[in-house]
Amino acid sequence: MLTKLAMTGFQKRWRDYLVLFSGLIMSSAIFYMFEALATNKTFLKQNTGISMVGMIFQFGSVLLTIITLVYIGYANSFLLSMRKRDYGLFMLVGARKGKIGQLIWLETLLVGITATIVGIIVGTLLTIGLSQLLISSLGLTLHHLSAWYFPAALTTLLLYVGLFLLAGFFNLIALTKTPALKLLHSNDQPNRPKLKPVRQLVEVILGLISIAIGYWAMANLDKLQMAGIGIALVTIVLGTYLLFNAIFVWLVVLLKRLPFANRGLNGFTLSQLSFRIRNYTKILSIVAMLFALALGAITVGMGFHRQVPLMVNGGNAYDMGLVNTTGSQKAQIKALNPTTESTYRFKVGKKAVYYRASDFDQHPFITMEQAGHNQLKFTVKHNTAKQLLKSNASYQLNSLQGSAQQRLRTQMLSDAQYAKLTQPEQRLTVFATADVTAHTAALKKLATSQRHRDTGLQGEMLGGRYTGYQLINSMYSGLEFMGFFLGVAFLAMLASCLMFKILSGAAADQHRYVMLNKIGTRKAQLNGALRKEIAVLFILPGIVGVVHVLFGLKMFSFIMVGSPYTGIWLPFLIFAGLYLIYYLITVQIYRRIVLQ
Amino acid sequence: MSTTPIMTVTDLHKTYGKAGSKQYEALKGINFDVNAGEFVGIMGASGSGKTTLLNMLATLDQPTSGEVTINQQPITHLKGNQLADFRAKEIGFIFQDFNLLETMTAYENIALPLTLQNTAAKKIKPAVEVVAAHLGIAEFLNNYPNELSGGQKQRVAAARALINEPAMLFGDEPTGALDSKSARELLDLFTTINREQAVSILLVTHDPFSASYCQRILFIKDGKIGQELNRADLSRKAFYQQILDTLGTFEQ
Ligand SMILES: Nc1ncnc2c1ncn2[C@@H]1O[C@H](COP(=O)(O)OP(=O)(O)O)[C@@H](O)[C@H]1O
Ligand SMILES: [Mg+2]
Repeated sequence: MLTKLAMTGFQKRWRDYLVLFSGLIMSSAIFYMFEALATNKTFLKQNTGISMVGMIFQFGSVLLTIITLVYIGYANSFLLSMRKRDYGLFMLVGARKGKIGQLIWLETLLVGITATIVGIIVGTLLTIGLSQLLISSLGLTLHHLSAWYFPAALTTLLLYVGLFLLAGFFNLIALTKTPALKLLHSNDQPNRPKLKPVRQLVEVILGLISIAIGYWAMANLDKLQMAGIGIALVTIVLGTYLLFNAIFVWLVVLLKRLPFANRGLNGFTLSQLSFRIRNYTKILSIVAMLFALALGAITVGMGFHRQVPLMVNGGNAYDMGLVNTTGSQKAQIKALNPTTESTYRFKVGKKAVYYRASDFDQHPFITMEQAGHNQLKFTVKHNTAKQLLKSNASYQLNSLQGSAQQRLRTQMLSDAQYAKLTQPEQRLTVFATADVTAHTAALKKLATSQRHRDTGLQGEMLGGRYTGYQLINSMYSGLEFMGFFLGVAFLAMLASCLMFKILSGAAADQHRYVMLNKIGTRKAQLNGALRKEIAVLFILPGIVGVVHVLFGLKMFSFIMVGSPYTGIWLPFLIFAGLYLIYYLITVQIYRRIVLQ
Repeated sequence: MSTTPIMTVTDLHKTYGKAGSKQYEALKGINFDVNAGEFVGIMGASGSGKTTLLNMLATLDQPTSGEVTINQQPITHLKGNQLADFRAKEIGFIFQDFNLLETMTAYENIALPLTLQNTAAKKIKPAVEVVAAHLGIAEFLNNYPNELSGGQKQRVAAARALINEPAMLFGDEPTGALDSKSARELLDLFTTINREQAVSILLVTHDPFSASYCQRILFIKDGKIGQELNRADLSRKAFYQQILDTLGTFEQ
């Protein structure tokens, strides 16, 4: 009988359950995706070559667990708020508490386990999809990435089931200890927003100090090592919370005094916000953190991506060097519209490669030379034969000259001396295109044909930017991938956290919007109020998150060559777009719940 | 007393449930007028269709057929912004469960209809203070609803309903959740407002005591108006007795 009642409650609220389920599935899917990378040691080792990355993942794992804890807390209170009335009714019709306790426990666990299993499957599929997408759109090469990774699945399942056991226990106590009537009328009571200037001042100061310590720790990561990340995480989370707590209350009270509050539903919106201030400060600090992590990860990922061509271009001035080009190869080079192309004649002796100095004097050989301490600033030098011999960048010629000759000395001979040598004359053609990353397919074709002709030629021996690109890209692909992957994962987590929090309040808001409608509020006004309220909840953590990222990027200056700040507008723009989409979806769902 | 009707109700029908499914005819042809400045009561047993009727009159629901005009304006087909503006400017409601926004103070609740119309901030404060003084809630303006008693809450609701100086005030069992002392105070207040500000009032109730404050009572039974009582010059006590007698025979 009671089970039947419970089932009817379920059927009536399938839409709410859908929100709950999709949120939980999203969360467990993301957790799984993260773990699939974080616990896969071979993947991390093979793709990063930076031992620190493994540690960063460990910290990320801990952080994500904490966030999941909070997230499930919210999901659970959403479930609880949905079922409170039903259970109150069951009690009124005389159901025994023990029986209801069983039902609650069962329902919580059932919801949790189903969502987690589906989540792991979704996570596996998402990992496949996302990695394919990233690999094909960024041209990454990854090794040992497996979408299905059993240890990750196990970790996810254990954590979620554990948390849901806890949640079920909590629900049991919360529901059975509360009298039936209170369950029926469990309207949240307003928090009177109070201004306590001294306390809030202390909160602001402590918050600022905490954040300052965190920023300092991130900036000095080279000295503090891993401890720095720990310190930064704790202090920044704490500081963000304190700041939100102090400033949010104060801001709402202040805004309410302005004439602005007397226009349309602005006063209503402010009251809604202040009504939930205490609940919101926690979630907003978490969202600000997640925002920072997601945006930071994407920015760093993009930073690595942008860095590849910079490093490649610094390694050599030419895309490739080909010895004794065929007619077809010449045509292919021509089709690439090379920006420079030179041919040098040479003869190979036992100890040295002999070039004609006059070739170099007519067509100076270009070298890239590092300027100052910055590893990504290069000066371009045009070298005559004499200059090249003196230059310590002369290896850049050697690396281009094909198979066996690479280990031989370079000698520059006068035309007369050169003519005396009896070895067969060969030709080295070097060329560069405007952008090596844009021509990888055509260059690959050239490289393959050359390898067919010159069997001694192996992998890296072709030299030039093309080879450099392949080397560096495979080195950085792992880092890039992780940056993007984590960014998307954190963003999805953030959005579901915020959406959940907002939507779990929607049921309580429903009667307020009905009431406003009854006293003659226009639809446009209701929509406006709703959009504004949710916008505030999205924008506030967004601003704080951006500030965190701007400081946090400093951390990466020691992994990245060059500044992690160049070109950050692009990831910021992409991120803003994704964030906006989440905002619009939340508004849409919320509107459907409260305005019907 | 003026005899121009502020509200006319013509052959009002309401059937619940869609065609094909189980249907229930809650109103079966209601006709009556309310004159400007009148205080009219609608009485009937639980389930007789009082709330259904009031919801049609107050634009909260649409009738299946029939027409209602308020201030010569047909209201049953109002939609969208017209409907919202009509509610905001021409009518006021008071519900049994107060319907206050618990996130806002009494002051903010009362001011809401004015801020919705973007009334100048300078005009809002005096207007709220005048109404609040009138309803005896001036000292509670900064309280939240959960810090007020039922009677006080209902007076805040009344203040919110009256602040736009509506043509009609509707009340659906407004004393239903109040103790007898608060109920009496609220009804006295209605009488004063009705007399001094010439607001027309339509009160739905199943309680004879509340009904005895009205000038005219319509008895509704099974979706039809069965009987009408006029207070005329009777004292409230005598009218109360008359209502009890009528109910005795009417409810048979
Ligand atoms: N939304 C609805 N759907 C179906 N039937 C309804 C609905 N609202 C009311 N009724 C029915 O109409 C009748 C009159 O209800 P109501 O107007 O609420 O009575 P009263 O307010 O006089 O107690 C009742 O029998 C009730 O069951
Ligand atoms: Mg009723």
